[in-house]
Amino acid sequence: MTAGGTSGAGPRAEEREGCSAREEIWSCGKLRLYRYRSIAKPARGAPLLIVYALVNRPYMMDLQEDRSLIRGLLTHGLDVYLIDWGYPDGADRFTTLADYIDRLLHGCVERISSLHGGAPLNLLGVCQGGVLSLCYAALHRERVRNLITMVTPVDFHTPADLLSKWVRKIDVDAWVGSGNVPGDALNQLFLALMPFRLMQQKYVELWRSRPGPEKLRDFMRMEQWIFDSPDQAGAAFREFVTWFYQENRLARGTLRIAGRAVELGALEMPILNLIGARDHLVPPAASAALERLAGSADVTTIELDLGHIGMYVSARAQREVPAAIAHWLSTR
Amino acid sequence: MDPDFLRAWQTLAGLGTPFAAGANPAAPGGDTADGFAPFAESARRFAAAAQAFLAGGATAQPAAAAGAFGDFLRDQFAGLFKPPWPWPAAAEPPSGRASAEAPVLGLGREHVLRAERAARAWARLVEAHGRLHRLWFDALRDAAAAFTAGLPPPAQEPPDAQTIDRLYDTWIECAEEAYARIAHGPAFCDALADYVNASSEWREESGATAEAWARLFDLPTRREINTLTERLRALEEEVRMLRAAPAPKAAPRPRAKAREQPANADGKPRRAHERARGAGKKSKP
Repeated sequence: MTAGGTSGAGPRAEEREGCSAREEIWSCGKLRLYRYRSIAKPARGAPLLIVYALVNRPYMMDLQEDRSLIRGLLTHGLDVYLIDWGYPDGADRFTTLADYIDRLLHGCVERISSLHGGAPLNLLGVCQGGVLSLCYAALHRERVRNLITMVTPVDFHTPADLLSKWVRKIDVDAWVGSGNVPGDALNQLFLALMPFRLMQQKYVELWRSRPGPEKLRDFMRMEQWIFDSPDQAGAAFREFVTWFYQENRLARGTLRIAGRAVELGALEMPILNLIGARDHLVPPAASAALERLAGSADVTTIELDLGHIGMYVSARAQREVPAAIAHWLSTR
Repeated sequence: MDPDFLRAWQTLAGLGTPFAAGANPAAPGGDTADGFAPFAESARRFAAAAQAFLAGGATAQPAAAAGAFGDFLRDQFAGLFKPPWPWPAAAEPPSGRASAEAPVLGLGREHVLRAERAARAWARLVEAHGRLHRLWFDALRDAAAAFTAGLPPPAQEPPDAQTIDRLYDTWIECAEEAYARIAHGPAFCDALADYVNASSEWREESGATAEAWARLFDLPTRREINTLTERLRALEEEVRMLRAAPAPKAAPRPRAKAREQPANADGKPRRAHERARGAGKKSKP
């Protein structure tokens, strides 16, 4: 059991692993699957597996006690699991999306399922992790009882999607080559989406707000997370950019993973879709498309007046997001 | 958090807000708060320019004063959009061939052609970077124009920190809006794609040259390691499939009659002593 310690997997000594007590229950290569210790009342209902993005570290879900989606979910009595994909290195350059979805994510689901008598689980996909979750749920419908997506792009060709416009004409095969994509390169791209705010105003704002030591610590913790970006496994990154950003296969219904069709129309389980109205990375329309494309008759969309990061760590998110998820699950 | 950093930060914060009169982050920030220095310095300059404009109540030419403020902003933010690696300054020198049309012959042909491709990619990279830079300046120009158009008229009273605070936020707003308009446009998207594609090609050709040198010195190359990695993946996949496959049913026990001597690889029957060999033998440590 670890809490706030380091696993030694990260590149920096001060790297955080989150603030809540958890236990590693399965691993495969660099992947670690954790189960969180319940903190409020005995966990009930189907387990909830959080699938975080590949492009950042999952400790954002459990950053500190007063900024932890996981803690909020635990407080509501949910049985929470989290996938940590690890830091890919050169040996992972040929890892594909099929590996991530059909082998690694599936392995996690199997492991959790085996602990719960083979019952289907609830899946919570965050950002790119939401895309992986959608694909998984479409390929393994029987394994997913309820699906929750958070700031998850579905239609990658909406007018406000700047990232998508930028990569449309990039030769992704040449860009990736045979190697991995450095996390710094992606961060550069993300900063370039709003350079004045993210590279200038944010720091001036910090000074202007004259934070005390605690607030300054919060800021630095966040700063560390933002720039703690794993390199991306080359093959999976190439597929993700080409299939999703360039060809919009998920929304068009032409996506195939591991040789099988991924059809959103096949998603018949209840779906909760959480959208950030001020999300600059995943425009609201890109997420909202899920309601139109999913086959489920039970799709709930909640749009909160928050940005992409605010969806995980803002005070409002702490109050509203875990409660909304727990309430929604309790009624299904 | 590092206590030195905290102390340095507190010193910096003790100077007041970035736009307060007398805030001078350059002085006592200390080594560990140096990371904030560029932003604090930028805020200080902004405050100075805003004060110069707003307090210029007696100026006879407010339009010129606003224009000067706009110019300041364009200069101030010209270098903001800088990647962490060096930007290309100029095209690489040509390979030395007199004419690109002349055929390349002989032993070094492949190397010369590769070097030329790398040089051409570098030239395209420099050109695309130039386009990106011009578009960035266009965004700054548009932002400065929008910002100065909304400036309040210069007053007699010197502005307070809150006024400059608001102006700063307005400037950031104008800058993001102007930048977004350009960044969403096809010219920017094309320039960015050309820049990335040219840099990919340059890296590919340069990597091939590096591999040629590595082979010369019998050093392992990326290509070799990739081959090994792919073989390893294939083996792992095979092992996974074997593990996942249902265990084969146990073969029926042969009857005494059928208990014939199994054959060797060459088809000849094994001799009894061969079968027995090693069966009851103790292995040496």
